Amino acid sequence: MGSVFTKSLRDLRRGLAWWSVGLVGMVAMMAGVYPSIRDNPALNKLVDDYPEALKAFIAFGGSVDYVSGAGYLGIELFSFMVPLLFVIAAVASGAGAIAGEEERGTLDLLLCQPVTRRRVATAKLASAAVEVGALAIVLWLALWAGVMVFDMGVSAWNLLAASLTAGALGLAFGAIAFLLGAATGRRALAIGLTAAAAVATYLVNALAALVSGLGPLQKASPFYHYAVGDPLRQGVAPAHLLILVAVALVAAVAGIVLFDRRDLHSA
Amino acid sequence: MDAIAADRLTKLYGTDRGVTELTFAVDEGEVFGYLGPNGAGKTTTIRLLLDLVRPTSGSVRVLGLDPRRDGVALRSRLGVVPGDLRLYERLTGREIVRYFTALHGGRPGPEVDALAERLDADLDRPVRSLSKGNRQKIGLVQALVHRPELLILDEPTSGLDPLVQEQVLDLLREAVAEGRTVFLSSHALSEVQRVADRVAIIRDGRLELVEDVESLRARALGRVVVSFAQLPPAGAFDGIPGVRETGRHATVVTLALDGPADRLVKALARYEVVGLDSHEADLEDVFLALYRGAGGGG
Repeated sequence: MGSVFTKSLRDLRRGLAWWSVGLVGMVAMMAGVYPSIRDNPALNKLVDDYPEALKAFIAFGGSVDYVSGAGYLGIELFSFMVPLLFVIAAVASGAGAIAGEEERGTLDLLLCQPVTRRRVATAKLASAAVEVGALAIVLWLALWAGVMVFDMGVSAWNLLAASLTAGALGLAFGAIAFLLGAATGRRALAIGLTAAAAVATYLVNALAALVSGLGPLQKASPFYHYAVGDPLRQGVAPAHLLILVAVALVAAVAGIVLFDRRDLHSA
Repeated sequence: MDAIAADRLTKLYGTDRGVTELTFAVDEGEVFGYLGPNGAGKTTTIRLLLDLVRPTSGSVRVLGLDPRRDGVALRSRLGVVPGDLRLYERLTGREIVRYFTALHGGRPGPEVDALAERLDADLDRPVRSLSKGNRQKIGLVQALVHRPELLILDEPTSGLDPLVQEQVLDLLREAVAEGRTVFLSSHALSEVQRVADRVAIIRDGRLELVEDVESLRARALGRVVVSFAQLPPAGAFDGIPGVRETGRHATVVTLALDGPADRLVKALARYEVVGLDSHEADLEDVFLALYRGAGGGG
């Protein structure tokens, strides 16, 4: 347990274990239901008849289709549950990276050691990013296993693309939560504001097809870049993935700079 | 070179908290006592020295370095026990010491256990299961173990039993004997006057005085408590040079004495004295007088 990075990673491992269990359980459950869906093509017609508003919410890129493996995984997992879990996990770690230790009061003694604030913030951020990356890998492996067992016909490469895109979405919101927590030292505030931003940008993206005028705003939503490349069918969409990573990097750098400039709060 | 040099150091939070225009210097190799009531600004001063907060105006140099610009170089030479010490609840003392030692670029050696033994610190239980005093001991171990040039200690003995407090003061004396410097903040004068060479007294964010402990003691008044068979009339001790009545209760009169006792003894002889209790000049009196805003009492 030498550096701030390994210490932070150690602090996150318990959460990582529980998130992994949750992800694997969710994927196993959804994959297990798939054979009964596949054998019932009438469901596709049912989904086809959904109002556009509902389709907009259940779609994950591309067309809405409930019977193909990619369509099923998109509707059941990637349209809502996967991004929800990734955003929650990343925001919790990002918001707590600085503000958590500051509110617990342990940051004082850490910053009395010969380390710069920038190094502490970077190390904590990096460990949170590793956590999100590990969750993406766990999701990928769980999906791959599910697809093999239940013969869902989605390539491992496309599953990896979708999992990494979910990870990148998590990183973007996690970094925003980090920025707010590092700048203010208040964890609850960072979580609350980031959650509000996530809900708002999610709705903007989902409603853009229905509400005229939301079109330009849609491209500012991380959820747009998360879904629009249709990674389960099309593989990695580099431009959209890069935009999510760029949002994360800008927020991360801003958080580090602002943390370096401000007074620490007393516990 | 001064170990610490503060020049009109000011930190304002809102309206009534913070510190204002602190100017003082701590010599290398001394124990510098930093005294004041709780809330006077001691912890704010220390947080300024450590770059945990930045000054509103003025400046400070610690070991000749700027706490902000040269923070890493500076803090590699410091040992710190913060006020209101918080440690990682899930780690043991040993793990905490190992973590911080690694950040100093080293590995803990046998001196950790030697130090822990002297302080009676339990390094092998998680912090969450330790009392406040036992946590404080771990804070002291991590501050002292790498033999820093400057120790910055904010109420380091809080929560410790008297025997361990004495061990801590011994450790500070040993550090100074090796030429190292100690900045010791405390609200308890009794503790500071046992180790400090000089003291600063801070009240409401301003320095009241910075002085040698010896000359402060010389300034302090003797206190004489006299019980009488019958209470002498009011004003009986007025006009005696160097004597001032500071209180009376039932048949007991308390007097402050500045200088030789001869005149007071002769004045007392006119009454029937039942008991006589004389205290050596005590810094506590100076301290209390300053706290009350009476300005030194001399």
